Amino acid sequence: MAPDDEQVLVARLSAGDTGAFDEVYDAYRPRLFAFLLRMTRNRALAEDLLDETWLRLVRHATRLLPDTRLGPWLFTVARNLYWSHRRDALLEESFVPELLTLWPSPAPWPSPFDLAAAGELERRVERALSTLSPQYREVVLLVGHQGLTPADAAVVCGVSPEALRQRLSRARATLAEKVRHTPAVAALKKGFAT
Amino acid sequence: MSVDRDDQPGDEDLLSSLARLRICDISQRRSRQLRRRCHAMLQGEPPMDRWSLGVDGAFRREIVPALGGVWCLAYLAEIVRCTAAIYGYLGNP
Repeated sequence: MAPDDEQVLVARLSAGDTGAFDEVYDAYRPRLFAFLLRMTRNRALAEDLLDETWLRLVRHATRLLPDTRLGPWLFTVARNLYWSHRRDALLEESFVPELLTLWPSPAPWPSPFDLAAAGELERRVERALSTLSPQYREVVLLVGHQGLTPADAAVVCGVSPEALRQRLSRARATLAEKVRHTPAVAALKKGFAT
Repeated sequence: MSVDRDDQPGDEDLLSSLARLRICDISQRRSRQLRRRCHAMLQGEPPMDRWSLGVDGAFRREIVPALGGVWCLAYLAEIVRCTAAIYGYLGNP
């Protein structure tokens, strides 16, 4: 979205224009949901966090600065909601070791994404992504999938551009390594069948 | 899509695969509901549940403590009056 168009959109949104909201909603809803779904790996939770993201936008609509960039703003809210939920969930479950490492165990079977992905490599990437740590997964998704610039992704993640670049580099290397060691879904299915 | 000779994806393949990952969406029904809710909030129409929550919140925050305070004061005044009556400070009826 061109910066000028975005500024007009933000101004209309601040004035309570529902047409402007619809434009933003239609442009970003699927992208935000895809991001949240891959972060949470839980459809119901992703839907709830998506609702809250949009409600926060309309609650803050009148306070948006004229130069607000809606994409990074929305992804920042969605990301913060995800991390807030994750912290609460970890504390509730007294899952202290995971709180310290924040390293999820890999899913032992193909996710719905695996099965629906178009090609074999996409399936392997989906599967490898689900085993990445959330910190790595979010930068890979924001830059690699959502097309944010590293500078915008740094804003979303609340880190310096340099830190983001380093994290992205490590995340890509880890992802590539995991993809190399991720068996094809067909092989997994065969393994389960036997 | 090109892959390396040993069937391992290269960096370019990985990046293009990431960009091609499926975009998902919520159901149309849920999307419509959320859109309506946001429109209502944008146009400053307080949803019914929020309005009732607001009234309920004000009731709990202000009215209940006020009623409790009045009741405590009345109870205390009555105790003082009874005590004064027992010890004869209020004079003979």
